[in-house]
Amino acid sequence: MVAQRMWQEHELKDQYDVVIIGGGVHGLATAYYLTQLGVRNIAVLEAKYVGFGGSGRNTAIVRSNYRTPEGIAFYDLSVKLYEQLAADLEFNVMFSQHGHLTLAHNEKGVTGLTERANTNQLMGVNSRIIFPEEIQRIVPDLNVFGHSRFPIQAALYHPPGGIIRHDAVVWAFARGVDRGGGHVHQKTEVTGIEVQNGQVEAVVTNRGRIKTKAVLNATAGYAGIISRMVGLEIPIETHPLQAAVTEPLKPFLNSVIVSSTLHVYVSQTDRGELVLGAEVDDHASYSLRGTLSFLEGAATHLLELFPHLANVKILRQWAGLCDMTPDYSPIMGGTPDVKGFLMTVGWGTYGFKAGPASGYLMAELIASGKTPPKLEPFALTRFYEDRLVGEKAAASVSH
Amino acid sequence: MLFILHFALFTLHFALFDGSRERFPTMSPQQSDSEIPHSGTIEFEFDGHRVRAESGQSVAGALHVAGEHIVSRSFKYHRPRGLLCMSGRCPNCLCTVDGTPNVRICTQAAKPGMVVKSQNAWPSVKFDLLRIFDKLHRFMPVGFYYKRMYKPRWMWPVWEKFIRRIAGLGTINREHGAEGVYDKQNLFTDVAVIGGGIAGLNAALAAAEAGVTVTLIDEQPALGGHLRHDPDLACHGSVSRAKTEHTADTAVALGVNVSPSDAQDINDLIRRVTEHPAITVISSAGVFGCYEGNFLGIQQGKRMIRLRAAQVIVASGCWERPLVFENNDLPGVMLASGVQRLLHLDHCQFPGEAVVVTDNAQGYRVAKQLKAAGTRITAIVDVRDNPPEMADGIRVFRGHTIISANGSRHVSGAVIAPLAGHPRQSLSCRWIVQAVGFTPANSLLYQNGCKLRYDESVDQAVVVQHAPAMYSAGAVNALHNPRAAALDGQRAGAAAASEVSGTALAAGRDERQPHSSPAASAVPLSQSSLSCHYVSPSGAKKKFVCLCEDVTEKDICDAIDEGYSNIETLKRYSTVSMGPCQGKMCQSASIAICARHNGQSIAETGVTTARPPEQPLPLGVLAGRALHFSLVRRTPMHAWHEKAGAKMGDAGNWKRPQVYSSITQEYEAVRQRAGLIDVSTLGKIELRGADVVKFLEFIYPNRFANLKAGRVRYGVICDDAGILLDDGTIARLGEDRFFLTTTTGNADAIDSWFRWWLAGRPEWDVRMTNVSGSYAAMNLAGPRSREVLKKLTDADLSSDAMPYLVASECKIAGVSAIVLRIGFVGELGYEIHVPSQFGLHVWEAILEAGREFSIAPFGLEAQRVLRLEKKHLLPGIDTDALSNPLEADLPWIVKLDKEDFIGKESLARAQQRGDRNKLVGFRLSESVLPDLASLVLCDGKLGGRITSCGYSPAIGGTIGLAWVPANLARNGQTIQIQVNGRLIPAVVQDEPFYDPSGSKLKS
Repeated sequence: MVAQRMWQEHELKDQYDVVIIGGGVHGLATAYYLTQLGVRNIAVLEAKYVGFGGSGRNTAIVRSNYRTPEGIAFYDLSVKLYEQLAADLEFNVMFSQHGHLTLAHNEKGVTGLTERANTNQLMGVNSRIIFPEEIQRIVPDLNVFGHSRFPIQAALYHPPGGIIRHDAVVWAFARGVDRGGGHVHQKTEVTGIEVQNGQVEAVVTNRGRIKTKAVLNATAGYAGIISRMVGLEIPIETHPLQAAVTEPLKPFLNSVIVSSTLHVYVSQTDRGELVLGAEVDDHASYSLRGTLSFLEGAATHLLELFPHLANVKILRQWAGLCDMTPDYSPIMGGTPDVKGFLMTVGWGTYGFKAGPASGYLMAELIASGKTPPKLEPFALTRFYEDRLVGEKAAASVSH
Repeated sequence: MLFILHFALFTLHFALFDGSRERFPTMSPQQSDSEIPHSGTIEFEFDGHRVRAESGQSVAGALHVAGEHIVSRSFKYHRPRGLLCMSGRCPNCLCTVDGTPNVRICTQAAKPGMVVKSQNAWPSVKFDLLRIFDKLHRFMPVGFYYKRMYKPRWMWPVWEKFIRRIAGLGTINREHGAEGVYDKQNLFTDVAVIGGGIAGLNAALAAAEAGVTVTLIDEQPALGGHLRHDPDLACHGSVSRAKTEHTADTAVALGVNVSPSDAQDINDLIRRVTEHPAITVISSAGVFGCYEGNFLGIQQGKRMIRLRAAQVIVASGCWERPLVFENNDLPGVMLASGVQRLLHLDHCQFPGEAVVVTDNAQGYRVAKQLKAAGTRITAIVDVRDNPPEMADGIRVFRGHTIISANGSRHVSGAVIAPLAGHPRQSLSCRWIVQAVGFTPANSLLYQNGCKLRYDESVDQAVVVQHAPAMYSAGAVNALHNPRAAALDGQRAGAAAASEVSGTALAAGRDERQPHSSPAASAVPLSQSSLSCHYVSPSGAKKKFVCLCEDVTEKDICDAIDEGYSNIETLKRYSTVSMGPCQGKMCQSASIAICARHNGQSIAETGVTTARPPEQPLPLGVLAGRALHFSLVRRTPMHAWHEKAGAKMGDAGNWKRPQVYSSITQEYEAVRQRAGLIDVSTLGKIELRGADVVKFLEFIYPNRFANLKAGRVRYGVICDDAGILLDDGTIARLGEDRFFLTTTTGNADAIDSWFRWWLAGRPEWDVRMTNVSGSYAAMNLAGPRSREVLKKLTDADLSSDAMPYLVASECKIAGVSAIVLRIGFVGELGYEIHVPSQFGLHVWEAILEAGREFSIAPFGLEAQRVLRLEKKHLLPGIDTDALSNPLEADLPWIVKLDKEDFIGKESLARAQQRGDRNKLVGFRLSESVLPDLASLVLCDGKLGGRITSCGYSPAIGGTIGLAWVPANLARNGQTIQIQVNGRLIPAVVQDEPFYDPSGSKLKS
């Protein structure tokens, strides 16, 4: 049997209608949905290999129980697209919607979650506050009633939330782009963008120059560097985010468990590994080295929730880069300053769960030239017009 | 569904088939009894039956003696697996020991009464029904789960349920948790040497003799490295199979002036190291990570050691790698070093015949050692055409390799052939021993940023550029010959010591590099059959590359054909190297196969990123004793509160009284008489210096230049975006002396905030001291509070002498105190700060003095209602990450005419655009109490939310604070609040609900 290749390798053409910088979920999803809209002369440029950055380093949690109406509507679209992604792309991305629980250990936490539950319900998203008995029923292994420094008081329960096989999503989108006629160029690094009279004219890469009128910056960690190539400053600070994985254990934990008081979240994959993480590192940095203090903190906090995991072993830890905006919401759309320069950046710690929605709406914007309403609140101009989309309460540790 | 039925039948059929296979004849217990001295034997349990062990023997060694050769089942195919590496690296011997899953029993000493259970098998490890998957492999090629089970959509959850039943290895025991004492230790050293083999021992000694302190960390229970299990190594030369061998002579020629005989008497060397006063040896300890700044994470049993080293020498050696051939995972196929460990450390034997496959001297050594222990060596199969070693009468097949292992549950024979593949011949044997080279233990070098490059001449990656303050020595430098490793260790030790003491050892030479740089002496390979050392010619049966994940050579090639050709993508798709061994067994082979299949060199193929921990690390060890991770902070009056029966609650790390008697009684005491609340948890900062005013003007949107000494002012702190971060009071106690308070929750954050801004202004004369813990504080409030306090002080408390917003320093109950006339709860009040050690004394004195006025202590719950009636906001409760002071009903606080302050630009812009949302007070029309965070709806859409609410005795109804759209923020405006799905009208009120003129507060 001759294996079907996922994607072909192509010569770099000297002209594309759209050039997308970044071979992660956002770039590839945008390219895929563009091919679905009939825009096929497109290229995705990836400096390393597809899924090298955040798309390969995130902890693959998908949910829509955000705080603001704008955020909820956007992430809800993403969950719905994820639900049909396997069928659309004919690739099992293993979306497991086993539910997502955000724990509250104090009154302020309960209030914050209540607000989210109320707003979620108003927006038609399945999300509600549950109390210790029900929490224990859903997660029998969780230390709900045992001794604890900060006992669990309530949880925001979001049944459609869950985890997905993140690499599979990236590969499936890449194959979708390839089948749709687009080019995925790996090991192709962008070194410059040419702008004339306020209009993008070309992208310069380590493999040659590409003429194009439309460039999408779909990078993370490097979003500011790419934007600066067209003279644009964007309000982004890059922080490392760390995660770790344990050895495989017989599955006992189906839901995603998040606690911002304890700065930890955990889920168990279909292979049986526990995946755990915390919030972004305090200080801005481009370092991809993990720290010992992260491991110590995550372990301590996880054992507070699951004391019987004391002898479970960590297999590896890693770090990714998160582009944080001041309001913990992304930047999507164009800029009045440079025609043909678009971006889907500033994805902080919440980028992977938004990939399909970001791609779907950005493709619509690029193909039609009109900004879809769900995209409008996330424009770069919001920082100049003081129209922030405040998701800090729902996005900081709440992966 | 039909498929599942078929599946079930097939399972049953196969189970019977598998079970009927011949059971491998093993030694009877009587036999083993006669071979083990009776003294010092212990008993433990393996899968329900008793096994005897010599004291000090590993669990694996005891099982070997007992003839238990199947110790686990593989991850995907449930194939039987037996002992392989005996060094705690491969996944084959993972068992559940005393309730702890995934324990490597080869490095676990047997203990009396220990309960060992095999894993990932049903019903048992000997008879596992799930081995059906081995026969179904056609339906489960690499990545099959990505291609199936998703159509129609409802199928995936069904399949997933099934997958989650069979996934994973060990089972978590809910009754088992942390046991014994987990500990942490912090150590410092001049030079850390990682590895107690020949190179490490020499490095440690050389550094110590140069006068620096040395910490030697070794993972084995005793020093000696490979010499522990390969005693002939010292006299017989190298363990390497490399084409070029670096010898002691080359090292000497390159200028290290030491005697090579140092390496020869290992016991003498160990004695000198352990007796050296400057060397600390940490045994049975693994360095799992080298973090930024030579910060080493070390696990020693249940202890984690954090070692900060000025210089690090990595002499971590190497581990043996397996060969890839058909059925290479059968129990009975072992690594040579694994065999040697069982022979020499666990005193085991290998009855029957053995075939040794090799391409180096170690194969001959192990063959002779086995022979001496009574094993019949059928043959040595040597890949090389002209090996230099003497075989001592053992038959040698030169230029041959192994094709296949025969057997079903244990090795029963081997099929060998010349490298060309034909003709094949079968040899009968019970053991197949592989001695085909080593993988260097170089992950700590990678972790710390050393640059390594694969060097064909030595067939391993070598360092081309070291990270600062890091050295490597011995096998990681491709120096496998003991004498060369000894000299290399001495070089690294001397160089590291000289860097510590700041003396250059030899001018003009880079002491980081081994003197005989492998790259420099590389010779081109005459026969490019490198990969055939790892991989035998293709065949029909499974050839495992990754034992953890059951990834075969074919799987890897198929994945590459599908386009996953990058080594990292290949790893993620095929899962090769992602299991419990993290690539230790499969790294060499998987890279070689990837390179061959892509038509690239091994150097071009690269390696996957090395990440900590270097070996699996228990969560309990990482957590240490901090099982309940944050300390409890108690105020000096804590015991009093508890005695008074207060209901205590958490406020960050603090415990605070929520309520003593009832909210109503406490409320009445404050409004009608006097009340006392413990506010010791407030953040407190003292600022001194000539430029404090300048600093405060910059930090706060308020004005402070006009704050006179002896006065106090309320202030808020904003960030660059004008977002309200915190509030508190700022008292000017003297011309250059200020006393500030922050909220309880933000005390640490504001401390950091101040230091952050001060760090950039070293020229400012501002000295900051955090005195949060030094002062106890309490708030005495109520119309009779002046009369209460008067009894305890000589100071003039009259409203003329001490009006509202005065800050004074006086004695209260004989204790020096800072007294602020402020009123969070809206009554005449005094916030009293006294040194912590006198907190309880002053607290009791005030209550005693107030007894005649029926004073009462009050808690947070009463305070919350009291302040709500005054519409005083709580940052973080009534405000969020988008709230600015203009919209939070504090516009008067923002002085945009000041030269500069943090957030000025944003607030100016916000003022220009006008308010969008506002924080308002409201009265509810019905006597219900909505949940906090209930929504304010406008035409069915989200308009805002309520942030505080409660029953107000002053109003006789429910009041609260809410964020609403600015157009609704008018006095008397009706807003709709959603309570239990119903809309309830409320009326916006501008004025405070209690004492709107503030006359009580200022009285």
